[in-house]
Amino acid sequence: MTAQATRSKTRPAGTWTSTGDRRPPATGKVLTYAVLIALSIVVLAPVVWTVLSSFKTQAELAQRPPTILPDSFGLTNYTEAMQTFRFATYLKNSVVVTVGATVLTLMINTTAAYGLAKYNFRGRNFLFLVTLGTIMIPLQIILIPVYQVASDLHLVNSLWGLIIPPAATPTGVFLLRQYMLGIPDDLIEAARIDGAGEFRIFLRIIVPLCGAPIAVLTIFSVIWRWNDFLWPLIISQSQDKYTLPVALAQFDSQLVVPFNYILAMSVVSMLPVIIIFLVLQRHIVRGIASTGLK
Amino acid sequence: MTLFARRERRSPTANGRGAPRRRTVPRNQRLAPYLFVLPNMLIFAVFIVYPTINNFNISAYDSNNGRTFRYVGGRNYSELVDNAEFWAAARATALFAVCFVVLVTAASIGLAMLLDQRIRGRGLFRAVFFLPVLLSPVVVGLIWGWIFDRNNGLANTVLRGVGLGEPGWLINDKLAMTVVIFVALWTHVGFYTMIILAGLQGIDPTYHEAAMIDGASSWQRFRSVTLPLLRPTTMVVVILSMIAGFQAFDFIWTLTGGGPVGATTLMVQYIYQHAFESPIRYGLASAGSVVLFCTIFGLTALNFLYNHRKAAA
Repeated sequence: MTAQATRSKTRPAGTWTSTGDRRPPATGKVLTYAVLIALSIVVLAPVVWTVLSSFKTQAELAQRPPTILPDSFGLTNYTEAMQTFRFATYLKNSVVVTVGATVLTLMINTTAAYGLAKYNFRGRNFLFLVTLGTIMIPLQIILIPVYQVASDLHLVNSLWGLIIPPAATPTGVFLLRQYMLGIPDDLIEAARIDGAGEFRIFLRIIVPLCGAPIAVLTIFSVIWRWNDFLWPLIISQSQDKYTLPVALAQFDSQLVVPFNYILAMSVVSMLPVIIIFLVLQRHIVRGIASTGLK
Repeated sequence: MTLFARRERRSPTANGRGAPRRRTVPRNQRLAPYLFVLPNMLIFAVFIVYPTINNFNISAYDSNNGRTFRYVGGRNYSELVDNAEFWAAARATALFAVCFVVLVTAASIGLAMLLDQRIRGRGLFRAVFFLPVLLSPVVVGLIWGWIFDRNNGLANTVLRGVGLGEPGWLINDKLAMTVVIFVALWTHVGFYTMIILAGLQGIDPTYHEAAMIDGASSWQRFRSVTLPLLRPTTMVVVILSMIAGFQAFDFIWTLTGGGPVGATTLMVQYIYQHAFESPIRYGLASAGSVVLFCTIFGLTALNFLYNHRKAAA
């Protein structure tokens, strides 16, 4: 992915050097653009439509045929949803859970990956096998027994219940462990000879070298936790523990919140991930390319 | 990078001359790895490994209220077999998963082929197609449910404008399933396209050059060079999309709610409803999830075997 990006940068647009990428016939190229632009419209239209409509009043939304632009771009839908329908609480819960779970994920996944990558100990391969196996066991399949464990540990209806159980991501351990295997052992040995403790070596030498996979895992974790639905749905039982997606789904189906507010809060739920994507796009693409993980 | 590093008998600190590891490695270095992996492995054990095993156990009990458990052996499974709702959910899941895997694999290969050319704005197109992957499935379902609303939705407004009538997208069961599959494609195609693109870039261009010298058309090159060399990547996409297809739940919840009359209720929703909506039947729901687990596990294994044989042939 990176090689591709640099290649296209160094080469002036419109020149075709490699025989593998022979210039396609003009009609083929026009067709390519036509298809890509048409598909882009299919992808973007619903999102743009949602953003535009999130500024409309209820009366404007009910209008037939609908207007494209709202009468004004005032933020009343946003502020009223936050205040009247307590979306500020749900937003706060979502932020707390996303940040908390991501920090916890980074801490325990990096340490676990380091243990698995750089030490020889009894049971190491078994634990790595368990890690690989758990990648294939999504929450959806073990919903009931996990819920029972959470209930026994008094994690139901608490934000801790949303932070702790999903924090140990097998994909994160795998991603970081594969990367750490590439760090030379000599570095660690040298630090040991200098008298550094094991945890200090991890914190001062290994972590700074793992910037790229840590960035990838951070992005993934934020997207996962921010958009999570099924687990929060069964854990957050009282309204004051709802996260944004749970609140949106529950209130939309019960028709208690006017749809213009639902739309505004939908846009709020889109913003953070889109911003993170735009800022760290290159890492995401590289992360997917190198791991094939979601 | 090796997946399984052979566990070395001697630690790197021992100079390989046969000193037993325990004596040369200081105590803190022997203890450290266990402390490093402990927090993560503890959560694995408590929230993934134990529940996975316990799931089989729960499926042998009946709990009509969610509090008391009564051992019933295989009766939950025989109840599933007789349960029309279960078969409806199983059929809907199978239909959805098959359509989703086939369409998303084909579409992502097609889209990746388009994006792999030297075209202007390629990075922009890629970002656009990736956008839906970032969105909350709840919000995706919500938006599309609103767009496909019969009376005031954007889809029917456009159709009405060009005189094509106003289909009841989410009211007719076949149309509702079509919409569900379409929305799943809309959401995921960008993700799988990224994987295919990475695979395409791993193909050595000399193969294409050789084929071109032999006078192969671009279609022939696609069939005989690209597709076979892309097989390992395609397998990843098929397996990942299959697992995703069998787990589909959240966007459907806000898109159709599983309706009309259960037409788009898939297995995960069936499990959820029996476990968390009254009457609470943990055992029955667990039996359903054991069936789902075995299906996914079996199909993944089959996929590996098939591709292994193909690759060996």
